[in-house]
Amino acid sequence: MSDLRTRSDLVTAARKEGDAVVVAVRGEIDLHNSPQLRGDLLDLISRQSPARLVLNLSEVPYMDSSAVAVLVESLQKLRKTGGRVYLTGLQPRVKGLLEIARLGTIFVIVADEAEALK
Amino acid sequence: MAENSKTSSPATVAKPGASARRLRLHATSDPANLAPVRRACEKYCIEHGLSPNAANDVGLCVNEAMANVTRHAYAGATDRPIDIVCEEVPTDQGGGVRVSIRDWGNGVNPATLPGCEPNPETPGGLGLICLRRLMDEANYVPQPDGMMLVMVKRKGV
Repeated sequence: MSDLRTRSDLVTAARKEGDAVVVAVRGEIDLHNSPQLRGDLLDLISRQSPARLVLNLSEVPYMDSSAVAVLVESLQKLRKTGGRVYLTGLQPRVKGLLEIARLGTIFVIVADEAEALK
Repeated sequence: MAENSKTSSPATVAKPGASARRLRLHATSDPANLAPVRRACEKYCIEHGLSPNAANDVGLCVNEAMANVTRHAYAGATDRPIDIVCEEVPTDQGGGVRVSIRDWGNGVNPATLPGCEPNPETPGGLGLICLRRLMDEANYVPQPDGMMLVMVKRKGV
């Protein structure tokens, strides 16, 4: 396991674990700060080309559609190298928005990081 | 404006215990205003009888509507005006909270744009979908110099 560097305050921790990159995100995410998250995630994908990107959202109580767009863009970039995106720790408001966007069908939603890393 | 209206900047609206009949906010199209305006609207909804979940729905829709104004009506400009008004809907009109969002942008009615069914691969348009799914009413009312979105969330829905 090795820690990875990121730029924004939204990412509190990022580490490489086997073929996975695990990213802990914290805070409310809307159009004001979603570009920062986008920069961090796309940079991590470019540098690490992980087979699995695991996003721990347990400290994200709120996100808007611009944050959803960042998740989808990350997935689309990762797919080019055959990777997948795992989401864990979904809080009710975030889960509700993802359901409206029907994103459960394209992301792998898991109970915890361990399940994503199996 | 009514006597019991409350007018303030987004940074100062969230005063504990405040329960004005009407909340009027003057913001700019800077996305930095999204969170304080959203929280102020959620607080107003709670104070006027909406459930926490219903208030959260209103907050998300206010966020999405304001973001759409910035991105589309104002083509990304962050220094243009957006006015937000929250007011009670009288009980004999069904009760709840009405939120009006006024801009002075290009006047395009987002509701007339095609492609509003959720598509997980292309999340653009999700804001409009939220408005339609989460609010009981959401209507764009063209203005001579812009657009006004009027949304209603009923109590107990």
